[in-house]
Amino acid sequence: MTRPRYLPGDLAVWLLILAELAVFALLFVGFAVARAFDPATFAAGRAELHPGVGLASTLSLIVASYLVATATVGYRLGRDGTAVRLWLALLVSLAYTLGKLWEYGQLYGAGYHLGSDTFFMFYFFLTFFHFLHVVVGQGVLLALARKARRPWQDDRDTNAMESGACYWHMVDLVWLALFPLLYVVA
Amino acid sequence: MILTLMTLIVCTALPVLLANVGLQGLLPLVLAMILIKAWLVVDRFMELRHAPRHWRWAVQAWAPMVVLAVIVAGGW
Repeated sequence: MTRPRYLPGDLAVWLLILAELAVFALLFVGFAVARAFDPATFAAGRAELHPGVGLASTLSLIVASYLVATATVGYRLGRDGTAVRLWLALLVSLAYTLGKLWEYGQLYGAGYHLGSDTFFMFYFFLTFFHFLHVVVGQGVLLALARKARRPWQDDRDTNAMESGACYWHMVDLVWLALFPLLYVVA
Repeated sequence: MILTLMTLIVCTALPVLLANVGLQGLLPLVLAMILIKAWLVVDRFMELRHAPRHWRWAVQAWAPMVVLAVIVAGGW
């Protein structure tokens, strides 16, 4: 017998996710076009970034996503540890937040800002736009962790958990494309 | 799930490490890694492997479209 097909989470959240992905895709295309017109500026700009911090930030988002994914499965099955996994995910994701703030500080201190050149216009706009999504996602994780702390019930609603988790994974998905395009091949 | 995590870590770290040792021409590898990572996140973490096909492919199509658009638009 085949398993029935099931869309996890709320339909409205999936529409939001598709809209967000479309916006980021357009921004990536803009970045690629701008780079094609001025590759030297983009190569010079990339050399000023901190790939080690970028890699650490990326790994923190991946680990957080793993914890959220396992928390969601556990919550659906009524297993213990969902709230702990979500708190851990939130904690781990703070490495991204702190890393990004540190890098913004370093770049700003070195005189780079949104108006420096085309590369840094895209760098600050794309990464800060994504950063705001991460902060919203962290708020969602906080709310889910508090919700998961409540005693297990047979009729508990998994919709909010799945919706929040899918939003978080979307944020991760975008960064997994954004990070190498900015830090490795720009 | 742990295998997915390990694959994502390797696919993320590999291009950075190769770039650090000065290897050139990493774009095809980077783009391939983006496709693999996106496929894993969508199918495993978002759990769209068992979702209605149109939803699964609508989200799965995002990374290939981005990669294609970046190649065409950027003249890479």
